[in-house]
Amino acid sequence: MESAARELSTASTAAVMQNPAAAEDGSGFDVSVTSAMAKEALARFQSRKYGECLELLYQLLQKKEDDPKVLHNIAIAEFFRDDCSDPKKLLEALEKVKKKSDQLTRSSLEQTETASISGTKGITVSKGSSSSALQLGISTNSSVHFSDEFGVSVATLNTAVILFHLHEYGKALSLLEPLYNNIEPLDETVALHICLLILDAALACPDAKISADVLIYLEKAFGFSQSDSGNIALQQSANLVENSSAVSNSTLINDSSNLESSLVASSENPLSRTLSEETLDYETMLSALDIGGQDASRTTQRLPSSNDSSISAMGKSVSSVDFKVKFQLYKVQFLLLTGNLKGAKREVKGTMNAVRGRDSSTALLLKAQLEYARGNFRKAMKLLMALGNRTEAGISSLFFNNLGCVYQQMRKYHSSSVLFARALSSFSSFRKEKPLKLSSFSQDKSLYTIYNCGLQHLASGKPILAAQCIQKAHPIFFNRPIFWFRLAECCIMAWQKGIISMGDTSDRSALKLYVIGKGKWRRIAARNGLRDRYHEPAQENELYPAGDGHLKLSLEFARVCLLNSLHLLNRSGSSSSEDSGLPPEPDIDGLESTGSNIRILTGEDNRSPAVGLGQVTANGDVKEQKLLGTCQEITNYSLSMYEDTLKRKMRALRQAILTNQAYVELELENPMDALSHALSLLQLPNCSKVHTYLGHVYAAEALCLLNRVDEAAAHLSVYLVGGKEVELPYSEEDFEQWQTAKVFDSEDINVGHSTTSNFSLEDAWILQILKPEEARATLYVNLAVKSALEGEYELALELITRALAGLPTSREATLTAVYINLMMGRAQEALSKLKQLTNVRFLPYSFTVHGSTSS
Amino acid sequence: MGMVVSGEEAYKLLKMMKQGDLPIHDVLSDFNSSFPPSHRFSLCTSLFLILQDKLVLTGTERLVALSVIHQSHASQPINANPFLRFLISIAGDDNAEKFERAFILQLLELSDSSSIKEFLKQSATDYIKSFDPSLHVLPQVEELRQKYLNTAHSETFKCFFKDNAVKNVLADPDVPLGCDVNSSEFDLQPGGKAKLGSGERDETVVGMLANLSLEGLGPQWIRPRPPRLPIQDGELVWLIPDNNHELLWDHGMCADTSRGAAVRDLIAKAAKGPLVPAQQEKVMMELANDPKLVYHCGLTPLKLADLVENNPLIAVEVLTKLINSPEIAEYFTVLVTMEMSLHSMEVVNRLTQAVKLPSEFLRLYISNCIASCENIKDKYMQNRLVRLVCVFLQSLIRNNHIDVKEILIEVQAFCINFSRIREAAGLFRLLKTMEG
Repeated sequence: MESAARELSTASTAAVMQNPAAAEDGSGFDVSVTSAMAKEALARFQSRKYGECLELLYQLLQKKEDDPKVLHNIAIAEFFRDDCSDPKKLLEALEKVKKKSDQLTRSSLEQTETASISGTKGITVSKGSSSSALQLGISTNSSVHFSDEFGVSVATLNTAVILFHLHEYGKALSLLEPLYNNIEPLDETVALHICLLILDAALACPDAKISADVLIYLEKAFGFSQSDSGNIALQQSANLVENSSAVSNSTLINDSSNLESSLVASSENPLSRTLSEETLDYETMLSALDIGGQDASRTTQRLPSSNDSSISAMGKSVSSVDFKVKFQLYKVQFLLLTGNLKGAKREVKGTMNAVRGRDSSTALLLKAQLEYARGNFRKAMKLLMALGNRTEAGISSLFFNNLGCVYQQMRKYHSSSVLFARALSSFSSFRKEKPLKLSSFSQDKSLYTIYNCGLQHLASGKPILAAQCIQKAHPIFFNRPIFWFRLAECCIMAWQKGIISMGDTSDRSALKLYVIGKGKWRRIAARNGLRDRYHEPAQENELYPAGDGHLKLSLEFARVCLLNSLHLLNRSGSSSSEDSGLPPEPDIDGLESTGSNIRILTGEDNRSPAVGLGQVTANGDVKEQKLLGTCQEITNYSLSMYEDTLKRKMRALRQAILTNQAYVELELENPMDALSHALSLLQLPNCSKVHTYLGHVYAAEALCLLNRVDEAAAHLSVYLVGGKEVELPYSEEDFEQWQTAKVFDSEDINVGHSTTSNFSLEDAWILQILKPEEARATLYVNLAVKSALEGEYELALELITRALAGLPTSREATLTAVYINLMMGRAQEALSKLKQLTNVRFLPYSFTVHGSTSS
Repeated sequence: MGMVVSGEEAYKLLKMMKQGDLPIHDVLSDFNSSFPPSHRFSLCTSLFLILQDKLVLTGTERLVALSVIHQSHASQPINANPFLRFLISIAGDDNAEKFERAFILQLLELSDSSSIKEFLKQSATDYIKSFDPSLHVLPQVEELRQKYLNTAHSETFKCFFKDNAVKNVLADPDVPLGCDVNSSEFDLQPGGKAKLGSGERDETVVGMLANLSLEGLGPQWIRPRPPRLPIQDGELVWLIPDNNHELLWDHGMCADTSRGAAVRDLIAKAAKGPLVPAQQEKVMMELANDPKLVYHCGLTPLKLADLVENNPLIAVEVLTKLINSPEIAEYFTVLVTMEMSLHSMEVVNRLTQAVKLPSEFLRLYISNCIASCENIKDKYMQNRLVRLVCVFLQSLIRNNHIDVKEILIEVQAFCINFSRIREAAGLFRLLKTMEG
């Protein structure tokens, strides 16, 4: 802290000394006086007497007008005085502090510039080097860099803290990154705060790369490779540890006291400083931190290191174990994020041993998450149940949410919706809690639960409710491609269910045959609901009047959502390209169809940068001793694993987006765009067989609509063998993309396999995947349609007969058969085909014609 | 594409058509007042579709229907009427009733609205009664097309899917087997008794008007639905408690910075000349007390060379502490490029003992040392420098601070080059033993 302050203070004193105007301002004060006042203000702040603290700060401000650090502390104290009610105001105040500091840095820089130019001359003469001008450039730049970076480092950190609590993880991360990149010169307390915050923000974002970096750095800087600067300090800090752990023990009861405990703990700081002659060592610094969080673990000790006996002796102290647990929990989170479940399992085991006898909701929740991720839903439930008796509001809402996830994955949709609802009500009671604390903002994670709720509604076929929920999660997920894709899915599902079209909203899947008249005059009118819809925006507006805050679902909106999704995907893809541009990835090409899931997870991936670690036997068993590698090795291995998974996910999403785009454009009677989407889908490298099939069918239809029948035929005949035979466009193994089963763990490999085969026809139906035979029959139908329209009725009849064998109940197939028969002059056959339809409703056309008989 | 005709509308429409005894003009006004303009097009479409079935409507009904269609776009030139092509096809159809053809022809020939109004003052019944085929010349379709269809209408839009559709209403007569469907015995007479196979025409007309669709019944292309994307791994958000992050007080506010300032002054002095032991002690102590002070002590890469020459011990201390700094590479660059000297070598040697130096840097530094030895002109100075370098290298090698293999060839060449110097020969022997 001292040193972080030092730079700006020196910069500003330099400015004061060299700037006559500023010197006048400052001529009246004595450093020791202001310094004493500052200490006094801090003491008031720590005892939470914010009013008194602010009075002192206002006085200081009169003495040191516009001093950014005074302004900064005023903003912080005012925020607490106002019961943390207005984080936005604090953000603005901190922004002003940073601007003020920038101004000061700039004016002091002008001074130093003139100074360093004269300095350079001397060197130039002595060295006779012509490159000194260039070197001057470098060094001035770097000094600028220094002073402005950490002059405001605390203000920047605090801004990021607020953003973190407001769930703005991305923004927080972008502020923290520059601080992190130049972290060495920063005061250790600030540096550790930065690391932990950046780690939390990166895990939430999620940004696995940054998480990995910071984890490795933390381990290096705070774990094992500590310099031997303070052997003497160690002795002194032993007292401190006891001190602060005594303090923290009294405030461990629940997380609401975190604020107090951190304040009380940091109040020990000045004392420690005087004790240890201003020696900052990690123990002191850690004791000032409240790393506790929910599980209220506290950290006052570095990790024990095997090669330093004095430290490992210290390691027995409680607080040291706490930091170790803390760090392990971070690692578990990271490993779970990256899908390195084996590593996570090991780490969780260690953590559970370390926390034994103590109470760690976080550890328990992470363990449950691990089992959930491994597909052991029963075990996950059991672990969650162990949490169930916690009464804290924070925990119970998390408990309900997570249990809801488990039930959702077990396809118990009703239970999961009840659980999500309970989580939400638990969150809302939480929000009313008074007085507000900073953490009140971050602990309200209801938006995440609402998103879960949306997914749940979507999975159980309620598109309107789903859209309402998903839309509410906009603030946290707006920059994720999957978010927009889900909204589009809601629109499309609503459209398919007839909820958002005009015309009759009754079941449109059945063909309606109206029987008109009687006897000689009897007619049968075939009304094909699906083809008779007209798109009338006015009607939609009536269904979803604007202004009630609800989305107006429509296919046009689906189109926009899909575009957003694709755009975001492309943007994220440009940084970690999934498959575009990268010159051939033959290994993927070769293996894609056999199941990329398994390929990546068993690590038979030669591109992995962590080959040294990823020595994996054929059955997917990572060798034990490899897993015991250094934190860095494991982290890098997990990272490469994560990147592979991410690429696979992005690839799947891109195919889904393009498929839906083509479909939506066809529904909107826009064959040109439909064609272009279908063609881009077909051009994707590694496009799944299912999507390739859809791409061909959509392209063919669009081409027919554009009267380019020959080109359409080319797309259909991809699957033709020998003129009339159509091969299965894909097999059930090609559904791998839709399977969520995991085969991570060698010991659970049997479980994994059974889950894989659990992919049932019911699932296929829920997800609207055509069975391979249905897909083939569909091709027969469409080929028959094409032939019939070209007047080749004999061929058409043959094709439609094959089609009907595969899809006996299909309306389209039957109607096409009716048409073909009619065109061939076989009216009787046509009528009987029509009447044979199973999924058909005969309706007497019953408008009363009494009037006509009476008139 | 309009809306669907409701049963009620269809019924009203039929009732109008049946008023063949009224002046056609009156029926048309009735039509216009009964239906809002927005509905008229779909009604005309239904009429157009039902007119194609020659059996359903009576002669007078057909005339009324044709008038409605013709007058549907009366405010615009006849060219703008979308049903013009259809009207012409009937007028030129040899199989159609002659009075019907003549009726259309007369309507088409009358250009101004007043004469049309006059023409339509007669009733449909009267027109048919007084019709004299000998008075009319009925031209062929081609002729009519040339006369009435200008280029704008001659191109019709072709749609592969839609143009080939058949009507979606199929006759499905329900009469006893073997009976003639067209026999009038099955027409239900008003007041008459319903028997097997009999039916009422009006019911059918209304039903047809309401259900005939322009799209008709075509072959049905199947458009498979896109499969839904299953919930992705980790998409359902699993919640765990946040770690708490509190706001920090800026302890730098009004802090006493005198101590830091003193060190800055001393470092500045140290770059200009050797410090006295007390001063040196103070710098060392302050640097040791505050590990971050080194970043604020005012040293830049530019000043390093001077610091190394004047106060090598302080330089070692500073560099050791800066080893994790993002700028350390710049300092190394200065060390490598500065003039070789005893002090520079001493600094590097001590550094290797204190921290792990990048081997890349060490190799560069050694190459630089060797090059300096070779380039020096003064024999005495050269000998001195070579001996220094040899001692330096021996120290590096003995302490395992460098991998001998990396520098073997270069250093061997150096030893041979200066084999006259005792230390070089010693270094050579050392290398040999390492090799063995």
